[in-house]
Amino acid sequence: MTLLERFRGAVSGVAAHDSFEAVGRLALGEPPSLTASPRSVEDVAAVMGWAAEERLGVLPLGRGSEVRPVPDGPFIVLETSGLSGIDEYQPADLTITAGAGATFASVDDALRENGQWAPFDPPRARQRSMGGFVSTADHSPLWAGYGALKNHVLGATVVTGDGRILRLGGKVVKNVAGYDLLRPVVGGRGRLGVVASVCLRAFPVPAEERVLVVKGDSALDLIERALAVGVAPVLPVSIVVAGPLMTLEGRSAMVLRLHGAGSTVDADQATIEQHLGSSSDVFDGASGTAQSLLEEIRDFGGREACRVELSVLPSRVGEVLRAAGAAGLRSLVIDTYAGRIRAAADRLDPTDVDALRLAAEEAGGALRVLDWAGSDRPSDTPCRAAEVRLSERLVSIFDPGGVLWPTRS
Amino acid sequence: MAAPHDVRVSSLMNQTLVETVADRLRAIVGTEHVITHPDRLVAYESDGLTAYRVAPRAVVLPETTDQVSKVLSVLHGEGVDVIPRGAGTGLSGGALPTPDGVIVGTARMNRILSIDTKNRLATVQPGLINARLTEATAPYGLYYAPDPSSQSACTLGGNVAENSGGPHCLKYGVTARYVTGLTVVMADGEVVRLGGAGREVAGDLDLVGLFVGSEGCFGIATEIEVRLLPIAEGIRTLLGIFDSMEAAGHAVTDIMASGLMPAAVEIVDHATIVAVEASVFAAGYPTDAGAALVIEFDGTEAGLDADADRAEQCCLAAGAREVRRATSEEERLGLWKGRKKAFGAMGRIAPDLLVQDATVPRTRLPEVLARIAEIGEEYDLKIANVFHAGDGNLHPNILFDRQNPDELDRVEKASREIMELCVSVGGTITGEHGVGVDKRGYMPLVHNAVELEMLRRVRWVFDPHGNLNPGKVVP
Repeated sequence: MTLLERFRGAVSGVAAHDSFEAVGRLALGEPPSLTASPRSVEDVAAVMGWAAEERLGVLPLGRGSEVRPVPDGPFIVLETSGLSGIDEYQPADLTITAGAGATFASVDDALRENGQWAPFDPPRARQRSMGGFVSTADHSPLWAGYGALKNHVLGATVVTGDGRILRLGGKVVKNVAGYDLLRPVVGGRGRLGVVASVCLRAFPVPAEERVLVVKGDSALDLIERALAVGVAPVLPVSIVVAGPLMTLEGRSAMVLRLHGAGSTVDADQATIEQHLGSSSDVFDGASGTAQSLLEEIRDFGGREACRVELSVLPSRVGEVLRAAGAAGLRSLVIDTYAGRIRAAADRLDPTDVDALRLAAEEAGGALRVLDWAGSDRPSDTPCRAAEVRLSERLVSIFDPGGVLWPTRS
Repeated sequence: MAAPHDVRVSSLMNQTLVETVADRLRAIVGTEHVITHPDRLVAYESDGLTAYRVAPRAVVLPETTDQVSKVLSVLHGEGVDVIPRGAGTGLSGGALPTPDGVIVGTARMNRILSIDTKNRLATVQPGLINARLTEATAPYGLYYAPDPSSQSACTLGGNVAENSGGPHCLKYGVTARYVTGLTVVMADGEVVRLGGAGREVAGDLDLVGLFVGSEGCFGIATEIEVRLLPIAEGIRTLLGIFDSMEAAGHAVTDIMASGLMPAAVEIVDHATIVAVEASVFAAGYPTDAGAALVIEFDGTEAGLDADADRAEQCCLAAGAREVRRATSEEERLGLWKGRKKAFGAMGRIAPDLLVQDATVPRTRLPEVLARIAEIGEEYDLKIANVFHAGDGNLHPNILFDRQNPDELDRVEKASREIMELCVSVGGTITGEHGVGVDKRGYMPLVHNAVELEMLRRVRWVFDPHGNLNPGKVVP
């Protein structure tokens, strides 16, 4: 009996096939043993239970935009496109619940029809599935104004590695009924379970968005000024230094975003320019130039083969950037308020990345390799031993058979 | 009311052993910082939920992480229950002792260890009182956002344990949003460091976020790193007076749907207004009003008047008979007074107060409040409502006398009906006070057996022997 026949015998009513066509940025190496397409959370649970019994890895797949590196050992793909509906949206409550396979774009579009939005702007946001969006919880340039995604995921339905269904959190803004198991799921990269649906907090669309741009020859030149904005009496919703930027003909820039009523952003702009001691180029957030610029910053590094991400205290960003320059990383996006740096290049010497990681760690920070071309992938900053131990214990109770996260090489 | 926790039999049942352990604890923290005399233990019999009282065997008050580590190591070795305690202001019985347990209090761990203005961070010990942190950082133009109503007494360690909220969490979020790193002493005395600002990309699982809100069951946080915010340039505060709670509820819905982002939206009902105005905390609220709504905006000075104007229009459109606006800090404090002093004022009209805490979707507030009033009538109980209306976080306060067994029974039944009501409309059993012992019995309303079992197992990840704060959170 083939694996597909065994699946069909054990899991009735869930579509499956044994051919596979790569999508998005997916790089799987060996193809999956089969692909299952559940249409409900109960279907997901049935697939997970079966995979655990068969000791097969399970790779949840939304849009395939963030699955790297290749899986380790035999595995199946659990595609979430059948869970793509918006399950509940109550505009007056500012909450929306959607299936894991719904695109962020479909959720955001539904919100915008009611003057609301989800103020999260990680790379390729609109193409992402909600499941992947929540599982990776990538940093958003809007962090200064709205904080991390984990603060705004109100609830999620999660299926554990052995097929148990957990409804975590809820659809209310404040909820402390039990330990917050939702927290490690958001950004947990699927290690604790397959996210089947998500309830997200929505926000009113600001009356006005204004984009202030201060150009410079390199990102390093602009860092001190950006850090100064971070301690100004007015806090923009985004403070990013990036470059070189195609939208600005190869120049680098500090890009600030202001949200609020017209009179508020006028006042904020005046305060910031006074703080900087200079005026800036100003764009309406809806203008073509502003949109191109913000999209370029958001998706920065998408073309390069090697990408790394660093976190460091904002006051130590400058010294880490000097190390990045020495490592040949000159394409950068830096959220100076959060101390988050994304850097990209077509080719990098792993020794240089190791030196950069050490520089970050020396400054109390950390480095993670997001993309790497070649087999000599440098190491990420490790967790502390106690954190590793606690994480492994946590994973063992959510995924006792170890079927989740088959890309854990 | 009988304490609802499991009475676990630990090795401290033997009095000789108690003294032996106490002597070892005295050697660690100093003789004067270990309390065993029954008269002095009375103060530790309960937290803010006074309906439950259990005397601990001892109270130990360490001063440093190292002392906490050594204390927990001794208690772990003897299999003794450990009950962490901050200021004891919690309202869910989270610091209720077990009969053979030892309280580890953080009262002496009250220092600010560092303020990093460049990175807008502070590191504090767990016994620091919430309001002291903002007082210390205000000269640098910074403040700590979570502001529980008890902020002049509650501690940061307690806030971390309960994931506390507060009126201004509507705009700024609860404690979990601000805690970036922790030093934690585990049940066996091991000291571990979790997270830390600057280390966000190291590791995938948010252990700091999981620890926050764990109600003392995972470990004792001995150093807490928190994010600070810049103090807003301006504030506008309004007080809307309504004939009915329903009208005030509609005003809240309209304000939130209008795209405004208030920093706080708080409601007090008629019963609360009457209690406040009859007390030394009288704030000038009209005693014939059905409800009073406090609305506050903060941010850039230039936009605040426009926001306040729009909120005022929402109130008037919903039927407000009057909207007052503070023109000075003194007036602002006056408008807030009736809300901030509500709990204190209620002590005047009943010997005991059960402060309930539940959250419902904001749009369901009017019907839930109407039904709570009916429940009060059905059980012949006075229920006064004070709550964070902007985020649907209700605090129905049941006034009673615990010397009256029949009334106590009715309080328990009414509480359960209120919890069931809130869950039935898509809400939950606690928004900011925690489960503790008070709401443990309600947990099956919001978690099925599989989820409850997962909560138990997650606790064992941190405390495999279950010595830390036993009998709390999970039934």
